[in-house]
Amino acid sequence: MFENIPVEVGLVHEGERVRKNDMQVELGGPSESEKFEIVRVLPMDQVTDGKIEIIGPDLSEMEPGAHYPIGILVEVAGTRIETDLEGVVERRVHEYANYIEGFMHLNQRYDIWIRLSKKSFKKGLTSFTLIGRVMHELFRNELPIIERVQITFITDWEKIHPLYAEAMATYEARDARARGLSDDDVDEFYGCALCQSFAPTHVCVITPQRYANCGAISWFDGRAAAGIDPKGPIFAIDKGECLDRENGEYTGINESAKKRSMGEVDRVYLYSAFGYPHTSCGCFEGIAFYIPEVDGFGIVHRGFRQVTVNGLAFSTMADSTAGGRQVEGFHGISIEYMRSSKFMHADGGYNRVVWMPSEIKERLKEYIPAEVYDAIATEKDAESVADLKTFLETHHHPVVKRWIKEEEPAEETTGAPVVFSAGDIPVTMGGFRVILKNAKITAEKVIILPVKPPVQKGR
Amino acid sequence: MSRKGVNIKIKELNSDIAQLRDISLTIGAINNDTWDEPMGPTPFPSLTTLRNWDLTLLNRYKPFYLPFCDLCCLCTYGKCDLSGTKRGACGISMPAQQSRTVLITACIGASTHCGHARHLLDHLIEKYGGDFLINVGDTGVEVEAPVIRLVCGIKPVTLSDLEPVLDYCENQITQLLAVTHTGQEGYQLDFESKVLHAGMIDQLGMEVADIAQISALGFPKADPESSLADLGLGTVDTGKPVILVIGHNVPPSTEIIDYLQKKSLTSDVEVTGICCTALDITRYSSKAKIIGPISWQLRYIRSGIPDVVVIDEQCVRADTLQESAHIRAPLIATSEKNCLGLPDRTDDPVDEIVHDFITGKQTGALILDPVKVGEVAVRTSIGIAPLRKKHKTLPKDTDAIIALAKKCTQCVLCRRACPNDLPLPAAIKAAAQGNLSGLDEIYDDCLGCGRCEPPCAQKIPIHSLIVAAAGKKTRDETYCIRTGRGAIQDVEIRKVGGPIVLGEIPGIVAFVGCANYPKGSREVAEMCMEFAKRRYIVCTSGCSAMSAGMYRNEDGKTAYEQYSGHFEAGGIVNVGSCVSNAHIAGAAIKIASIFAKRPLRGNYEEIADYVYNRVGAVGVAWGAMSQKAAAIAAGFWRLGIPVVVGPHGTKYRRMLLGRSDKEEDWYVYDARTGKKVYGGPVPEHLFFAAETKEEAMVMIAKLTMRPNDTSKGRANKLANYIDLHKRLVGGIPPDVHLFVRTLSDVPLTMKDEIVTHLHDHSWKENPIPDPTLLKRMIHKEKEG
Ligand code: SF4
Ligand code: SF4
Ligand code: SF4
Ligand code: SF4
Repeated sequence: MFENIPVEVGLVHEGERVRKNDMQVELGGPSESEKFEIVRVLPMDQVTDGKIEIIGPDLSEMEPGAHYPIGILVEVAGTRIETDLEGVVERRVHEYANYIEGFMHLNQRYDIWIRLSKKSFKKGLTSFTLIGRVMHELFRNELPIIERVQITFITDWEKIHPLYAEAMATYEARDARARGLSDDDVDEFYGCALCQSFAPTHVCVITPQRYANCGAISWFDGRAAAGIDPKGPIFAIDKGECLDRENGEYTGINESAKKRSMGEVDRVYLYSAFGYPHTSCGCFEGIAFYIPEVDGFGIVHRGFRQVTVNGLAFSTMADSTAGGRQVEGFHGISIEYMRSSKFMHADGGYNRVVWMPSEIKERLKEYIPAEVYDAIATEKDAESVADLKTFLETHHHPVVKRWIKEEEPAEETTGAPVVFSAGDIPVTMGGFRVILKNAKITAEKVIILPVKPPVQKGR
Repeated sequence: MSRKGVNIKIKELNSDIAQLRDISLTIGAINNDTWDEPMGPTPFPSLTTLRNWDLTLLNRYKPFYLPFCDLCCLCTYGKCDLSGTKRGACGISMPAQQSRTVLITACIGASTHCGHARHLLDHLIEKYGGDFLINVGDTGVEVEAPVIRLVCGIKPVTLSDLEPVLDYCENQITQLLAVTHTGQEGYQLDFESKVLHAGMIDQLGMEVADIAQISALGFPKADPESSLADLGLGTVDTGKPVILVIGHNVPPSTEIIDYLQKKSLTSDVEVTGICCTALDITRYSSKAKIIGPISWQLRYIRSGIPDVVVIDEQCVRADTLQESAHIRAPLIATSEKNCLGLPDRTDDPVDEIVHDFITGKQTGALILDPVKVGEVAVRTSIGIAPLRKKHKTLPKDTDAIIALAKKCTQCVLCRRACPNDLPLPAAIKAAAQGNLSGLDEIYDDCLGCGRCEPPCAQKIPIHSLIVAAAGKKTRDETYCIRTGRGAIQDVEIRKVGGPIVLGEIPGIVAFVGCANYPKGSREVAEMCMEFAKRRYIVCTSGCSAMSAGMYRNEDGKTAYEQYSGHFEAGGIVNVGSCVSNAHIAGAAIKIASIFAKRPLRGNYEEIADYVYNRVGAVGVAWGAMSQKAAAIAAGFWRLGIPVVVGPHGTKYRRMLLGRSDKEEDWYVYDARTGKKVYGGPVPEHLFFAAETKEEAMVMIAKLTMRPNDTSKGRANKLANYIDLHKRLVGGIPPDVHLFVRTLSDVPLTMKDEIVTHLHDHSWKENPIPDPTLLKRMIHKEKEG
């Protein structure tokens, strides 16, 4: 496959670092202001498969130890490839580049940072043509929907500028499309059964507005994966009929869930933590948990080590959330889903969120409606449900309106009512239930009296 | 919460049906269930409860015997020759006898950990109270004691809750040992099943010991960023009085630290350690220093650096008293299990003991009170240091080495005695002529066992010669180690779920156990770094954890400085001492509860089946030496985790090898359909001894495969297996086709060559099952 490439190409080189002292040249990175890599889908006749072009100095013509700007333009064509998949294909550039021994590639898009090691340069990795050939080979092998690929490397200061501007505009347009895409705009959702290898009944449903729990797979990723390998673990789900717009229930999802979970789950609400919530396996990034005392949701993410406002830590709640089950009120979610406008839509979205760690509250600032932002408490504002109640009231959180007449919580039984009955002899005292099994009871005197009517408390 | 021996006295009780006066209830144990998880099928399993599971495994991985000795001499009928098809006077066959020996070994190991746990727990309960709460990782750890929950079906909350666990272990070990009596069990696989039982009991003992000490002594609590501690002979400040602690049971050592702190002497006295006590003392105080694994006992004492030697239990050389007497360092024995013939001075006044030590009136004493040990050790070290002046028994300079080497007659007896067959005579000959490089080289591979010395008719202190010749090397032994962090956090496990199914983490490799290495510590460090570089999750414990840190890369960094301590791709996670091994098993068990919500409580078989079929973990005990190591390995086997050992591991008498050529051995149930399908020979072996590091690495990569692997996961595992095989053995492994289920399993960058290989081996596609070996786990459609 890579017989003519002078260095090794393989998975084992992923994650390899090239240190400054060992580096032949640096491309992009913090010292260069203009760098990019981009994938564009073009009509078939505009792509010559296998063509590799270099605009500007090639690796061998670069001054050792210096840094250069870099643009990598990958143009692809295929009858089944669509513009929507550009982003997904683009992320492969990072992966493939890293397979090459001594070719370090960090980040993506306008942020790329590449280093070539002296060692690999000496071995003969002296031209972008070789890099291009590796990428071409891998694209064609891994992604059969790509029928033609041509790759251009730009290292010329002058020529890179207009292309850079164009790339930036494309990223922007792409992001806008992703943000704007709603579940109503598409016919197909995607299911992911990868986690079934550990949680046999779990299936993720991935829609434009509901990112996968693990945060690793977007609707676009799902679309690409299902297109490449329709029999693989990521598959298309025909939306079917929409049964409930509020909760996000679709016939297609229900059917698919039933089949894939082997009957464990037969209804799914995409946008609610109640009723038929989406299941979680174990790797969710956060949890939305219902706090009955205030009729609102707390949110906690994986990295939060303290206990949350309900007295439970992430790990404890995660334990009741996971395992491919539907657990009402404990909802495994991804951070990305919290950015969606359908985020717990049926339950009131952010108007129902009453508590979250300051760290993610800050991170999600622009996605939380401004009117409720200040009314959501963090660990700094409330450490207990009692604190929380006060905070919500003083900050006029929308959930306060939901509070009907407050119920007195049942008094904790403080006394020690003593129950004693024949048979298994369970005794409840001081809040503990003690069952006496094979116990020998010795009493100085046992007096048995006929049963009297219950005596009033506080006799 | 579970409590033993409760007495309830009720003065008066009035209820609807009776009035009772002056009752006293005496109850064997009280179970107060605050745990809502229903009890699983097998709490506190007896010797045969899990026999079916064991036999399922043992039928795949049949014992492959490597008899170390053809004779049995366990009773007075013997010696019996068991070679060939002969049977002993009691009727036992060779295979059964070999397995019986393995069982005895595993019982010794399990009883050692449980005995250690009992002693430690008693001490901690006495000091901190039975109600002291267990805390292994604050909010980060939901399942505090996975092994205990799984095996016993209880959820311990306080230190006293651990007592019934040990009661059970002690009971089971008694039963297990009884099995080895003449005229008991006669069938090898039944012996083997009991070996697995002993391994499981051993894991309980380890878990009790470690969670008790983590909780009560304030060790790092599942902290991925636990501090770094000094490691290596060169890190010791020899200008100060030096205390050496050796063994595994930490209380005497923590009392030394406490006494130093109380007297503000912490920076005046060096506390150094060898073996697991050293690891555990650095979990208590990061000022303590680790000298190295067991191999450093002789060389460090002979160097004359320690002023006082404190020993507790396990892996302490039996000649430590003689060796320490030679350097005039008093020895304090602190364990009932290791008294060395010393007078018991537990009840004597400290002043007297210290005086006797400093004046040389006594070379050693048994002191069973750890607090007293703390004071005696510190005061003696301070008093004696100026008098002994680091008196050593190593040859003092090159001339002395040459003079000793000149006495050699080249009889080769030393080499014959050496377990690693090191070329001593040649090196000594060269030394006699002034060239020390041979001896210096031997230092790297030397186990420090001292076996070469007694046969030498010339009375040459051969090991001392080696160490003296390598003087510069020993002074350069300045490394560091991440202190044992204990458990793995639940959140860390959650975070790796995605990367594992997406094929970014090929597996989990745990380097554990002793230092009976074929070629020195360095190989462990190299393997750890290679697997970390390949983005495996690497765990370390015990002597192997030290060895992993005893190497610096070209930037001068040790493995622990180079790689993170998080349980993540490319992390090197030191869990701690030998007893911390329970956390590695615990992490595997937690995967089942975290991702699949499988109930752990008293549910051993189902969880073992889950771990075996899904969790791509491999244990590596490259220098496995002890009976404890045998028991630890057995504990992993029962959970379905394969173990690779070094060449000395064949002396455990048998391997557990699968037969990849027998297709019929590798069928699993697909839990979705209930059909039996071919799952492939994964993992291929349960217990495998590798001759060389290279062979081991290829095998480790292979053994991380499991039938549930996603295609991306399998592709990554295969890529590493094939790549290592190409580099270390040469060519594509001949059995690759057995591990490719569908074409998407083929690593992208190796597509051409592998597809060719598949064609040549008439490969056919197989489905990826939802694998289980248990019929009852087949999924039943819900009604309606
Ligand atoms: S959590 Fe991610 S990998 Fe797992 S099933 Fe969902 S989408 Fe797939
Ligand atoms: S135990 Fe059996 S085999 Fe061993 S010496 Fe006695 S009779 Fe012989
Ligand atoms: S001390 Fe070293 S050289 Fe001597 S027998 Fe042991 S391993 Fe061999
Ligand atoms: S045993 Fe002693 S005399 Fe014999 S070769 Fe070894 S060092 Fe020399």
